[in-house]
Amino acid sequence: MSGIVCPIRGGPASRPTIDRAIALAQESGLPIYFLFVLNLDFLMHTMHTQTGTISRELRELGEFILLTAQTRAEAAGVEAEGIIREGDTVREEIAALSREIDADYVVMGRPREAQDTNVFTHAMLELLSEELEAETGATVIFAGEQPA
Amino acid sequence: MTKRGTLRISLGVVALAALLLLARSSAALASEGRQEDAADQRILTGFVHDEQDQPVPGAIVVAREPAADAPLAEGESQDDGRFTLAFPPDVTVGPDLTIELARPHFAETSVRLEPETLSELQAGQPAVMEDVVLVRRITPAFWIATFVFLLMLVLIAMGSIHNTLAALVGASLLYAVSYLGPLINEDLFIFDFSRSLRYVDWNVIFLILGMMIVIAVVERTGIFQWAAFMAYRLSRGRLWLLVIILMIIAGVASAFLDNVTTMLLMTPITIQIALSLSMNPLALLMPEVFASNVVGISTLVGTPTNILIGSFADISFSDFLVNLTPGVLLAMVGLIVYCQFIYRDELKTPGESAGLSPLLLERLEERGRIRQPGHLRKAAVVGAGMIVLFVLGENFHLVPAVTALMGATALLVWIRPDIEEMIEAVDWTTLVFFIALFIAVGAVQEVGLISFIATGIGDLVGTNLALAMVAVVWLSAILSTVVANIPFTAAMLPVIGFLTATIPGAESKVLFYALSVGSAMGGNGSLIGASANMVTAGIAERAGSPITYVYFLKRGFPALIITVALATIWLFIHFF
Repeated sequence: MSGIVCPIRGGPASRPTIDRAIALAQESGLPIYFLFVLNLDFLMHTMHTQTGTISRELRELGEFILLTAQTRAEAAGVEAEGIIREGDTVREEIAALSREIDADYVVMGRPREAQDTNVFTHAMLELLSEELEAETGATVIFAGEQPA
Repeated sequence: MTKRGTLRISLGVVALAALLLLARSSAALASEGRQEDAADQRILTGFVHDEQDQPVPGAIVVAREPAADAPLAEGESQDDGRFTLAFPPDVTVGPDLTIELARPHFAETSVRLEPETLSELQAGQPAVMEDVVLVRRITPAFWIATFVFLLMLVLIAMGSIHNTLAALVGASLLYAVSYLGPLINEDLFIFDFSRSLRYVDWNVIFLILGMMIVIAVVERTGIFQWAAFMAYRLSRGRLWLLVIILMIIAGVASAFLDNVTTMLLMTPITIQIALSLSMNPLALLMPEVFASNVVGISTLVGTPTNILIGSFADISFSDFLVNLTPGVLLAMVGLIVYCQFIYRDELKTPGESAGLSPLLLERLEERGRIRQPGHLRKAAVVGAGMIVLFVLGENFHLVPAVTALMGATALLVWIRPDIEEMIEAVDWTTLVFFIALFIAVGAVQEVGLISFIATGIGDLVGTNLALAMVAVVWLSAILSTVVANIPFTAAMLPVIGFLTATIPGAESKVLFYALSVGSAMGGNGSLIGASANMVTAGIAERAGSPITYVYFLKRGFPALIITVALATIWLFIHFF
């Protein structure tokens, strides 16, 4: 098995990432595996621990977001699959899926602004890229604009 | 149910019945004993209060002759500050009899009886002594309890550990100081375990517990998702209308269920609708969460802060409806206008759902379907019954906690869900948070911090009720943007109680309504102002639409100003 792993969250920032993954899939003929990571650590800041309900709702939301991306990929004539994973860190889930499918590429979004509260900071991107490539053998590509 | 389960329940019932019988017989025996003793004893009664005229419970009262080593009589002041000393018949009451009063966190006091009182006592008649004032003393325990309470608030605000853990850390530190501190210095004592439990408001705990079970049943029916999808259908691509309908849905739901659950269930479907319409999800989510925080205070059960206030000040379900709902509606109108203005760019273009693929549309419709129509019908019947009991219950002293428990039980019996699943759905972490919070607030009450704050505010506002009301509304609104509003409200209740007792005209409980308005609407002022904000932001961030602290502040703080100002106008119109 081989393909392109494309972790997304669904907002406007994910559009260039999805487009880049679709373009790459059209060039290489590889399928895309869109990945949505469920992570409930924000509950730490509230009293609520209704993890069952929140997990179910977020899963539904994740499935919808993945379906949106799949629909766009299929409209572009690209084979695509949506995968939801639960995990504490997005990085580990990307690495795990890349190893599982023996991914050729990982296409990720780049934070739009330096102060954006993204999962990854700019300082971490280079290091992350090197680590993922070493760990999985896949080529890491960042989509979106280069920060100023 | 298994045989083992039935046996366990039967054993439980038998044990409970035995305990009740035992308690009843020992109470009867004790009562008989007291009646026999009272017949041949001289009784001295009195009342002890602090400098703010508040009763002081738990003061040890001792009657002593200066020359004698052993006390003649001993007693303890009760919750209402009253105490009784029973002198044995063989004891001679001399002219130098003194009454000594001692209580942690107060200066020890001894008083001599007035001649008339002494004569009555010596003549074997029941006597009532003059009221005694105990003066507060700042001990090392005062500083430690204050520090621990502030530490707990900071830990909650920082979010570095879970709120419940922060509250438990606070309560445990207070116990550790209370039990181990006196080994070094007896002034480190704050309170003992049994006294600390007297600060826990079980009405609040059981009301929240009952409502949690009801919510657990309702949330599984899919009513929230259905309502949001209907808003999408009804608006037919008119985004300004969609926002208004979603705000009304979030508001009405928050008035009867807690805000966090409302936003937890509304946020994912709202994001899906926004994605379907190719619009910014925050233009829908922010107005929804603002409405949830504002309209929640219309009823007793709409927010945890109202539950706290209602229980403390004996404000009923219908009292909240009558005294706050018109103000809330006024604030809601202002909020709708404000949201239409700040998101005018996002809302002016018609939604582009035409581009939605049939697969995605089918998925959205599927999400917007009622999942358990039978359960929803039953929940509606029970919910209506609960509202009737909430409204009418005060006429026959039915406390809201009992109504909530009865409603929850009726729902469980009627629907017969998996009972273990339902019990798991109860958010025990929240209940533990409330218990630990009550203990922490009790500690700062015990050492006198609340009393000093109340006196300070009382000195500032004097007897001007209007000034006091404005101060309470705006102070609590502004502070709720930086301090979690539940611990803040819990700490403010005794302060408001003091102001209500001392300011002429405040018996209308206007200051409690002011606290309700300020602490709930203040939640809109910042991201950390309310749990519903944090849950909404957490889900939105995971869906790629982060709500940063600054983003929320820029849009939320003006919302706070508008809604609190309108609610303040209502309070003026209604109470003055």
